Amino acid sequence: MAGVSLEKIEAMAPDQSSLVAARKLVKPGSWSGLAADNAGLIWGECQGSGATPYRVVVSEADAGYKCSCPSRKFPCKHSLAMMWMRAEGKVSFQPAAVPEWVQEWLRRRRAGSGAPNSDKDETPQPKNLAQASSPQPEEVDPKAEARAAAARDRARREREDAIRAGLDDLDTWLIDQAEAGLAGFASHAGKSCRSIAQRLVDAKAPGLATRLDGLSNRIYSLPEHARPIAAVEQLGQLHLIAEAYRRQESLSIEMRADVRREVGWTQPRESLLSEEGALCVSGSWRVVGTVSEVQPDKLRRLETWLWREEPTEGPRTAVLLDFVPVASGQTKGAYRTGESINATLVFYPSVRPLRALIKEMTTPTQECSTDLGLSEDNLANAYGGYEDALAKIPWINVWPLRFRDARVRRNGEKLFACSAHNDEVALPIITNQVNAVSPLLAIEKFDGFGLWDGYTFRLCLAQTLRGRWVSE
Amino acid sequence: MNAEELKSRILPVLLSGTRRDPGQNFAFGSDREHSVLNALSLAGQALRFTRPSVPNEFAVEHWPRDERRVLPDRLRPAIVRLLDRSTDDTARALAFALDKRKLRPHPFDLPKLDGFVRRYADRLGATAQYWVQCETSILAARSYFEADELTADNWTESSLRPRVLFLKTLRKQDAKAAQGLLEKTWSGENPDSRVQLLSTLQLGLSPQDKPFLESIQKDRAPRVRSLVQRMLAVISGSSGDNPALAACMERIQKSKAGLLKKREALKLELPATVKGHEVNRWIQEQFADVTLGSLAHACAMSERQLVEAAEKDDHLLFALAMMASREMRFDLLDSITEELPNAWGRMSEIPGDDDLEDDDRKLADWAIALIKPNKWLPEVPFPAWSWLHRQIKGTLPTRIMREVLASKTWTEQLDSDKKGGTEFVQVICALCPTELSGTIRSQIEPLEADRKDKGLMLLDILDELETLK
Repeated sequence: MAGVSLEKIEAMAPDQSSLVAARKLVKPGSWSGLAADNAGLIWGECQGSGATPYRVVVSEADAGYKCSCPSRKFPCKHSLAMMWMRAEGKVSFQPAAVPEWVQEWLRRRRAGSGAPNSDKDETPQPKNLAQASSPQPEEVDPKAEARAAAARDRARREREDAIRAGLDDLDTWLIDQAEAGLAGFASHAGKSCRSIAQRLVDAKAPGLATRLDGLSNRIYSLPEHARPIAAVEQLGQLHLIAEAYRRQESLSIEMRADVRREVGWTQPRESLLSEEGALCVSGSWRVVGTVSEVQPDKLRRLETWLWREEPTEGPRTAVLLDFVPVASGQTKGAYRTGESINATLVFYPSVRPLRALIKEMTTPTQECSTDLGLSEDNLANAYGGYEDALAKIPWINVWPLRFRDARVRRNGEKLFACSAHNDEVALPIITNQVNAVSPLLAIEKFDGFGLWDGYTFRLCLAQTLRGRWVSE
Repeated sequence: MNAEELKSRILPVLLSGTRRDPGQNFAFGSDREHSVLNALSLAGQALRFTRPSVPNEFAVEHWPRDERRVLPDRLRPAIVRLLDRSTDDTARALAFALDKRKLRPHPFDLPKLDGFVRRYADRLGATAQYWVQCETSILAARSYFEADELTADNWTESSLRPRVLFLKTLRKQDAKAAQGLLEKTWSGENPDSRVQLLSTLQLGLSPQDKPFLESIQKDRAPRVRSLVQRMLAVISGSSGDNPALAACMERIQKSKAGLLKKREALKLELPATVKGHEVNRWIQEQFADVTLGSLAHACAMSERQLVEAAEKDDHLLFALAMMASREMRFDLLDSITEELPNAWGRMSEIPGDDDLEDDDRKLADWAIALIKPNKWLPEVPFPAWSWLHRQIKGTLPTRIMREVLASKTWTEQLDSDKKGGTEFVQVICALCPTELSGTIRSQIEPLEADRKDKGLMLLDILDELETLK
């Protein structure tokens, strides 16, 4: 069983002080009952300041963890310390049967969290107070069920009505902007977008609201001369989404799913995981990029981009999305670029399926140093793939590009990703990556993976003769 | 309407505002409002299919050829971790170790190690130097070469430290050629370079250098003028030409001491205004341009007699210790520190770095002559040890380090009640030679993790570097 490496622990730690605090606990004296089930689970109890020791359990397969301490940092110092001890290998973890409190955690972990789960057939334990105090499972009341279903249906219809009203307001707002002229939109974008975003929140269209909230930042991040054009592009997309939503009955199932997701309807994980007919793809998936960004709603979006090594049918690129509160301090996800997992992914329905969940992980995450055969396409052809996707889903924001034989070139203060052999395309590298990408100026050509958002290119991985370059 | 027409006809209207042209009918919808919205979507989408423009030209990169070996991959993450929040002593120890083994950081790690690379670029190879210079100014790009590649043709193109080393080596082999090279490039050098390069001519100074020295007597930089004056004084063998020596002699009092056998005794009179912490600095400045030979000559005694005559005067002994260090007179320095074992503690209190030497053997001899751990170690340890590490540019000689590790100063730091000693642990680890790394490991092992971690990491990495072929 591959454990969690020191590098990974470092990457997972919310901050340096957590690592320092964890380091102090990396000694057997602070722990009791350190044990492992030899199938990827380790657990133990750490004596904290209280009378009761904290119970810590870690799933090595996917770096999942749980600690009973009240810390608001994730992972807490106890979880980090236990992983650390395991990674160093200086402290022995006695083989033992999985205790009840660990089993309880396993049961409560959301299905699809990735850890190989031996208790798949068990039904979740009751956890509401009334049920817990009742010796027998409560009998289902068909009338109550019907009332609940009717209430859900009514709520759904009300939300549909609210969204449509919100979309009408959005149209009015868009017309106002076009009437006033979009050349000057950037100068008042923040305030203006905020007010319509709030209206869309009220209209229960949080997807569109988030898009509008991030719009001003997106425009401001561009050079001044590019902002009016970007305003036309971005506002044009909003109307496309609104119009597609109104006409969703005439769209394919996948397209309808795309547009409803864009507006703000969500499909619960459990629903997707249990959905018959959902697109599932099994294989050896390699992590080719990770992105961590704070959203306007104070959630941090953690993206893990995966590439399937087998060239068989089905999507070869996937993205796992996780959202954590900024206040938790967690800045990185559980996966690191280069790692490999054997897993079955289930994709959210889409015209171009990309977002996925891990349905089942057959082997735990493993470090992998071999290069990937990412693509036969050069950068220009890979960019053509983006244009194809754009033709299918006109409002896509970010699209993955896999390419070979690229190089980085400099023009003034800017860096560009270009084809190594011609100047067909030159994708401007995102500003906050310029320093990190600079060493690639010395590389004549590389294969890589990156994300194009229509304006800037974020390089995630470059495979070069000098080794692997990874964005962090 | 195709994409080009959308961009040429519709886009300008959307940018300037449809209100300006209420009669404009885009013909994209049943009414004007829908028409505007559809025009907006179509124009926006047409723009999204426009490929980003390719710049007319790209900069030509001038990354240097770097003969150094790149650090092995297995050490890269450990080094990044080590340098994250480590002390400067740890970073310096690593830079010295990499320099010694002609290793360089992996180019992809340069952004992560930017602070380290900036500080120690001249010890990390041509690529690191290029990286630092590139960040400073792309326009001022120039090529860099390793010190061992320098020749009379390319020596001006390297950074200062390798150039000084090159000139020093050449001076030992062919004094005239070294002086000729320096003379040729003199006018293009900045003041710092002029001082350091000119210092190399002190080695094997002869009357043949006099014409060149006289030609630069009126240099703009006071430090250069002072150095030239001193060198000319050495060549002429006269003290009268050196005002600094005359000033020192005014402050040195001669007397006779001893009951049975009267001996010469010398005493340095400090000005009344120089007190406390200013003393060491005053002495350093006062004797900066005076050599042991010229002082002994002025006192009409040998250099050895000079030290003996000063043995009762700590200040004069300290001045002699500074001079003996500078001139690498380790025999004299050893005698001085027998009487004044805290000399290096006092030296460490003087701001500014003296770049002593780059010869490992000589630095080891200097350390042996200077440090007497059984007699004295600094009470407030950290800054003095840090200074020592800067000076010796590597590890302490084994014998000295063994005494340090057995000293009370060090063992007290290992007391579990002591807090916040990670800096001290790091500097002692930085100074520890490989032969004693096992000893120091076992000593610091019981310490709390945050006090020992960086030190242990440094020892691990230095040990790994030792094993590289």
